Amino acid sequence: MKSTFFLKFFLLSIALRSFTFGTSLPDMWAERVKSVVAIDYVTETEDERRMSTAYGVAIDTEGTIILPSAAVDVRIDPKRLRRFKAYIPGEAVGSDATYLGQDPYTGWHYIKVSKVMATQLLPISKWIAPKGTKELELSDFVWGLGLRNKEEDFIPYLMQSHIAIIESLPQHTAIAQQEVAGPGLPVFNKDGYFVGLATSSFAQTYLQFSKADRTGSPLMLVDVEESSAFLLSTEVIPSLSRRPENVNGRPLAWFGAYGLEALDREAASFLGLSNQSSVVVSEVLEDSPAEKAGMKAHDIIVALDSVMLPRFRPDHVAIDFVERKVLIHRPGDVINMTVLRGAKRIELSITLGDEPKLIREAERKYFERLGLTVREFVYADAVERRSSVKSHNGVIVSYIKSNSPVDGAGLSGEDWIKEIDGASVDSFADAVAKLSAAESDLHRKEFVLLVSRGTQTAVLRVKLH
Amino acid sequence: MSRGFNGLLNSVVRIDVRQVNYEGGSKRFDGSIGSGVILSEDGLILTNAHVVSPKAVEVTVTLSSLENVGAKLVGWDHWTDLALLKLDMDEVKRRQLTFTHASFGDSSKLFAGNVVFAVGTPFGLTRTVTRGIISNTSQYFDAERNEDGYETGLFNTWLQTDAAINPGNSGGPLVTEDGKVVGITTRGYTGANNLGFAIPSNTAKAVVKSLLEHGSIVRSTVGIVPGALQDLEDFYSLALNTGMLVNSVYPKSPAAISGIKAGDILLQIDHKAIDGRFPEQIPAILNSIAQQPVGTQLTLTIKRGVKLQDINVVTELLESSVGEERAFDTWGLSVRKISRIYAREHGRNDQNGVIVIGVQPGFPADVAGIQPGNIITAINRAVITSLDVVAHAHDAFTQKPEATLLEVEKDRHVSFVILKP
Repeated sequence: MKSTFFLKFFLLSIALRSFTFGTSLPDMWAERVKSVVAIDYVTETEDERRMSTAYGVAIDTEGTIILPSAAVDVRIDPKRLRRFKAYIPGEAVGSDATYLGQDPYTGWHYIKVSKVMATQLLPISKWIAPKGTKELELSDFVWGLGLRNKEEDFIPYLMQSHIAIIESLPQHTAIAQQEVAGPGLPVFNKDGYFVGLATSSFAQTYLQFSKADRTGSPLMLVDVEESSAFLLSTEVIPSLSRRPENVNGRPLAWFGAYGLEALDREAASFLGLSNQSSVVVSEVLEDSPAEKAGMKAHDIIVALDSVMLPRFRPDHVAIDFVERKVLIHRPGDVINMTVLRGAKRIELSITLGDEPKLIREAERKYFERLGLTVREFVYADAVERRSSVKSHNGVIVSYIKSNSPVDGAGLSGEDWIKEIDGASVDSFADAVAKLSAAESDLHRKEFVLLVSRGTQTAVLRVKLH
Repeated sequence: MSRGFNGLLNSVVRIDVRQVNYEGGSKRFDGSIGSGVILSEDGLILTNAHVVSPKAVEVTVTLSSLENVGAKLVGWDHWTDLALLKLDMDEVKRRQLTFTHASFGDSSKLFAGNVVFAVGTPFGLTRTVTRGIISNTSQYFDAERNEDGYETGLFNTWLQTDAAINPGNSGGPLVTEDGKVVGITTRGYTGANNLGFAIPSNTAKAVVKSLLEHGSIVRSTVGIVPGALQDLEDFYSLALNTGMLVNSVYPKSPAAISGIKAGDILLQIDHKAIDGRFPEQIPAILNSIAQQPVGTQLTLTIKRGVKLQDINVVTELLESSVGEERAFDTWGLSVRKISRIYAREHGRNDQNGVIVIGVQPGFPADVAGIQPGNIITAINRAVITSLDVVAHAHDAFTQKPEATLLEVEKDRHVSFVILKP
């Protein structure tokens, strides 16, 4: 008897160690807190340092963390993101972490924490439900983690709710009755299995009253600390093996249609496209895979690889759907698009390219005395200015220091510098050489810029001293 | 006051205008009040283009005798903000009405400090005389657009005066003590004290002549946006008072086609030296080009870097970027055609499409989410090459309302929307 008892006790303790599911909520909560971290980092620009905070989930035993896409502004050059630190919830002191880049398909940002911290973390895969477990349903109980702010050492806390709706947006997303986790943090079911990852919350409309306005004006508010929406684990788990290959998330599959707009329901029905979503191409970019495949502006994308676009609510989800279908590919892959052009359906076979250099990847240089930062002219600059993408001359002004010489001359941000001292600017390096000469020559009294702004140009005289 | 001045007072009129307004998404009429001055025995009246434009459907003139007479627009010129009207002389004769007419003085003889009087209808107060001096004989404004989007400025400088100028003074004369018209009061600064501006009479004389002869002003242009050279002479190794800076060249304009570039210095026009050192000097230079017949070949001597070169440029007709407007009442939609110049200024490849200038709340266009500023490029899949394409679809809709498909550009994003019955 005694030995049997011991044996039973032993088995139970093993079970507790590896499958702590279905135990008390506080116990499960205490364990699953080990799968999350808080991250903070600094965005450095010419004249300011901005601190941001985000929450992430450990995805392996090496200390790889994923943060939701909204955690980092994707327009910012990754080189300007500095001093990443990771914090174990509830601990005051963080340790250095490294930014690895963004995965273009999931939008997740990847962070590597220190080896020491990695040993303290449990990967989210620990909590994945075995195959055959019942899928999440309406009214199911779910719970998740929230983290307080840095002043409170990111203390973890518990949130609970029930499923109110499950929708394709286009990813399967559950919305709980109230906030259930911090954005980027995991959500679990009653047995402690991982059921999803909280996304950014949705805007809610409130009425704002004041003494002056007693009728109330509508105000949309988004809770940035807690969210009621989460991506279902079935969307998350298959992507956990993805890793950005580099800090810029390259390669980036690209087809080169500008301004995708979902077809509105009534227009769709007018065009006989009632049972599906479809997407209008506003412009086809010069020299892009779409252009080479024969896509035209105002084409309506109705099917991808011969599969009709599903019907989404709201309409604009269809844009995300098409973009994700492209981003899951690699440059060189072929994607077939069926477009409606006038009354005709046309099959286009598009060989995807690698997206041309993005503005965030453009080279930059700050000239403190002159008071400006210039950046390399990239493809998107040509698109924005309706200029040929082949004319890659000049540089773009990305920053103006107030009361500086260039500010006084009337130069503005986003001006396109085409000539410096009457000589054309052939490349970024050329601009840097010319501006460096002006910056370092303390006897120089002035220099002259020819800039383009809209469809006009202007000659600006920059007085030094 | 002088006899001339008293005569002048009897030539100043109040002008009440009823005009079409398309901006609310339908064709509406609104009224405004301005001033004018009778120029001749046969009832020609000079006023501002922003008082009477081709949108006017009814113009009523109140003579100094307080009698009302109808008038018609002879022609207008928004660039100088001048419009010429003609009294209904049959009515004048039938009713045996009398008036005197004013005559122009020489605005080039004015000097700062010169005493002048403004006569007009400020805030509807008929025949108000205010007194002041010339504050500046040639004030310069960068080219601007008036309330309706029409270009104004470029070809003249303004007389500045401290005589009180208020809304309603527009189109009235600025006169010297002898009653000679030296300017047409055009604008004041709202919120400022005693900063009024008038078109010099010497500019007005030329405009009146052309409007009488042709009903419009035909100007030549080469598509150069000028800049003053002030303080840039050293950089360009130029003697002072030599040449004018080419600040910008409109894409596809004659100057662009001939290879003139921004940053060039224009030294001579047809071998005649020009001086554009100061902004105040630029309108005269542009005017000298404008006065050439359309299609004239001009030899422009250009300095680019150290090189001088003669470039031949053939002038083209100066046009406004404001296209024709029309309202489509059943849809509650009013639009303006994309003009050649609008397309050029906005980097559009063609002139297809119309710009939405108004939608009427609750009407099909508004329900479809169309907003002012949107560009409609196609209707029932037909590209909008002219207003008639829209009118055709609108007529069909009015007769037999059926869902109509529009392709609408908002900030370069294209949506397909339905106008529903």
